[in-house]
Amino acid sequence: MKNAMEIDEYLEALWHMKEDGKDSMAELKAGIGGSFSPDIIADCLSEHLATVSDDEQTVVLTFKGEERARRIIRAHRLAERLLFDVMGMTKNLEEGACEFEHVVTPALVDSICTMLGHPKESPQGLPIPPGDCCDTAATTIESSVVHLTEMEIGQSARVAYVNCRKDHELHRLNGLQIRPGVTVKLHQTYPSFVIECEGSNIALDEQIANNICVWREKKYASKPDEPKVKKKRTFFGKGLGLFSKCKKC
Amino acid sequence: MIKQNNSPNDDVIPVSHHGAVSVEGISETPRKAKKAVVVGLPNSGKSQIFNNLTGEYSIVANYPLSTIVVKKGQMRVSDEIYEVYDTPGLYCLFIHSEDELAVRDLIYQERPDVLVLCIDANLIKQSLVLAADLIELQIPMVIAINAIDETSRKGMWIDSATLSQITGVPVVESIAIKGIGTNKLKAAIQKARPGRLPIHYGDMMARGIDTVNSLLPDTIAYRHKTAILSLLSDPFLDKYLMDNCSDDQFKKIREAVDDVQGVFKGNLARTINHKRAEWVDSTADKIIKRQEAFTGRFSETIARMCRSVIYGVPILMSIIVATYFLVVNVANWISTEMENIFWAPVRARLDTLITYPFWNDFFIGQYGVLTLGVAGAVLTVLPILSVYFILYNILEDVGYIPNLSVLSKRVFDKIGLSGASIMPMVLGFGCKTMATLTAKSLTSPKERYITIFLIAFALPCAPQIGLNMSLLGKAGIKAFLITFGVLAAIEAAAGLILNKIIKDDDKDSFIQALPAIRMPNLNAVLKKTFYRLFWFLEEALPAFMYASIAMFTLEKTGILKIIKILFQPIVEGFLGLPSEMVDALILVIARREAAAAIIIKMSDNGHLNFIQTIVAVVLSTMFVPCLAHIGIIVKHQGWKSTVWMVVSITVISVIISGVLNWLLYLIF
Repeated sequence: MKNAMEIDEYLEALWHMKEDGKDSMAELKAGIGGSFSPDIIADCLSEHLATVSDDEQTVVLTFKGEERARRIIRAHRLAERLLFDVMGMTKNLEEGACEFEHVVTPALVDSICTMLGHPKESPQGLPIPPGDCCDTAATTIESSVVHLTEMEIGQSARVAYVNCRKDHELHRLNGLQIRPGVTVKLHQTYPSFVIECEGSNIALDEQIANNICVWREKKYASKPDEPKVKKKRTFFGKGLGLFSKCKKC
Repeated sequence: MIKQNNSPNDDVIPVSHHGAVSVEGISETPRKAKKAVVVGLPNSGKSQIFNNLTGEYSIVANYPLSTIVVKKGQMRVSDEIYEVYDTPGLYCLFIHSEDELAVRDLIYQERPDVLVLCIDANLIKQSLVLAADLIELQIPMVIAINAIDETSRKGMWIDSATLSQITGVPVVESIAIKGIGTNKLKAAIQKARPGRLPIHYGDMMARGIDTVNSLLPDTIAYRHKTAILSLLSDPFLDKYLMDNCSDDQFKKIREAVDDVQGVFKGNLARTINHKRAEWVDSTADKIIKRQEAFTGRFSETIARMCRSVIYGVPILMSIIVATYFLVVNVANWISTEMENIFWAPVRARLDTLITYPFWNDFFIGQYGVLTLGVAGAVLTVLPILSVYFILYNILEDVGYIPNLSVLSKRVFDKIGLSGASIMPMVLGFGCKTMATLTAKSLTSPKERYITIFLIAFALPCAPQIGLNMSLLGKAGIKAFLITFGVLAAIEAAAGLILNKIIKDDDKDSFIQALPAIRMPNLNAVLKKTFYRLFWFLEEALPAFMYASIAMFTLEKTGILKIIKILFQPIVEGFLGLPSEMVDALILVIARREAAAAIIIKMSDNGHLNFIQTIVAVVLSTMFVPCLAHIGIIVKHQGWKSTVWMVVSITVISVIISGVLNWLLYLIF
């Protein structure tokens, strides 16, 4: 089991390298740090998770390795999202998420993803690899974050985050002050969506409205960080104690 | 109050009838004059402030995008002369589209001495984002908080003194539309100073900014801000850097930027935006005080009704019906009376005075300079335009027009246009040339093309609507309904077909800020109507005269007769119109309103029956876009595409009108 966790760390490092467009062995060594061990690399090779070039200078993930790394990264970044958005944690995000990624099952990861409204980025702005639940846009789990399109007319809600595929849309919304933390009120849904935000009315099409995720209950609009957060913190507080072992991720 | 500077350098602004000007035409400013640039969010009242400062007139409308090109004027405060620039709206200095680029380019090129930041008091937070950006330029700045009357009615109180303390720049409260606060603003402009922005992006970021900053050569303006923008990967900044740096310098800058970006791993924009949002929130909390109890927001309710399907559609219908009756009954009556009172006796008198047939024809014949040139413009067209423009300007002032974009969204979906093209199309009912300019902001080439084509095609602009209404009104409301129904069907069909033909690309998204509904300000409406009519006369009167001289020449030389014979099969046979229609079609090219004047005359003389009136209006609405409009299309789409567009529109318009003629013939 210990070995599996170590392999996971290596795969994770290789995924980060891939995101940065790097593939050298030296980079991997630097990424892993002092505890770098060629044995783990050998294990990765024997399990067909990675391939190393003949001169041993470059190392890349295989398809199988990539799938596994993808699952880990997804769990990790979703965990960060959860800790940051729901628990209001700002410190030690990384540590908590690190342990988390090894203990959750894929089904649990999908549940968290659904509860959070299928976020596309971690709190640091790194992409979260989508899972099956994102493709089907599952909403079956009673989620505390909903899309603006699911709000009722006349309802107010605090924006949790904005999922925009295009940068300029995000900037545009930002310019109009539609950003996490602000309260929006839905006025109209047909023929187009009209919301009120910081004193101005803004018309949106359905797709953009769908990309804006808000906290479900109205109480969140007036009092941020209240009841729900506390409740969950005790639940996860226990868990966080366990996670604090994590040293290096 | 405001003195106009009459230096020889006082630019003659090449004005279209909207009074807007392309900044390219601006010559060197006198050495003494300082430059002041009015900037602000869309629809924050920049044009009104500009008008107040300079005493010039730039079209003011209660909707975003009403100023789309930079306008320039002069202001004198005590002994100081300022060149004042009115600019299109801007959300922040990080640019995402070309129309916003114009403003930043202006600031970078002209390096103004003063920035006048115009803030809509209703939108403090949104404006503070822009304020933070502008303060980083370290240009002396003044803040004018506008529309302060509206916020006080909403139970909001804005502490301008504290804002001044926080930012370190003079802050003036104003109600620009009533001219309140103008003198204070002028005085403040002289005391403008660079602001301060107590935002710490963090040590690492600060080091990164300094590193990039130190690599920028002296030729680069506002190095600190430029460094930040380059770190944010502003898509339009690279070109500026390349133009102003050597290749080697550019390479080094790029490397440094990549390094810093690498450290933040895609987090950079987030960090900066987050810090700024914090500053905006804390500043807004300090300066905005809210009353708990205040009277309801009546205007909000009206705005909501205008946008909803249940109330909005009937409201739109009643506006159209009211306009129809005012134009048809009131304007046509004024027009007829004016002809009877002013023109008929003058004409009779001249007829007895000028006995030589040639000159008689030249002045008061069918195409006489006075008949068509003066009476046509002033007595036939002007009254109709006056009535229509007053109504249109009220709608503009109230802020009704952008709300139409909400209502029409689904219709646009059907013809393959995402919401982003709605505003340009809706503005096309005002002026097609201006609407085409706003279409520039569309990022998808497919949508841009379809939008520009549809604006150029069967969409009637404000003068066309007014004149068409007046003309169709003479044939009865049925003619009006059929004609506008046909035009709408043509637009929809064209949209559907173009949507099928042109390859799909990424659709633009629809994010449209809607202005608050305001009570119309009578003074402002009348002033705007006056300017619109004045610009119409200024441009149209000479055009009408030249057109009449050209027509006179064509007739006297017999060329007109030849043209008529050549086109007889099409005009009389296919279109079923009298041969006089050829005159109108020739005039369409010179000036649409001149053609309308001829068609109205034909109708008054009983030369057009019910079917012919409809066909004539449908044809003249589509037939050849006006010259100013063609000019703009060329700028956007290039010659080849424009020629193709104009030719196809012209040919299609004739074919459709012909088919319509036969259809109507079968039905009635």
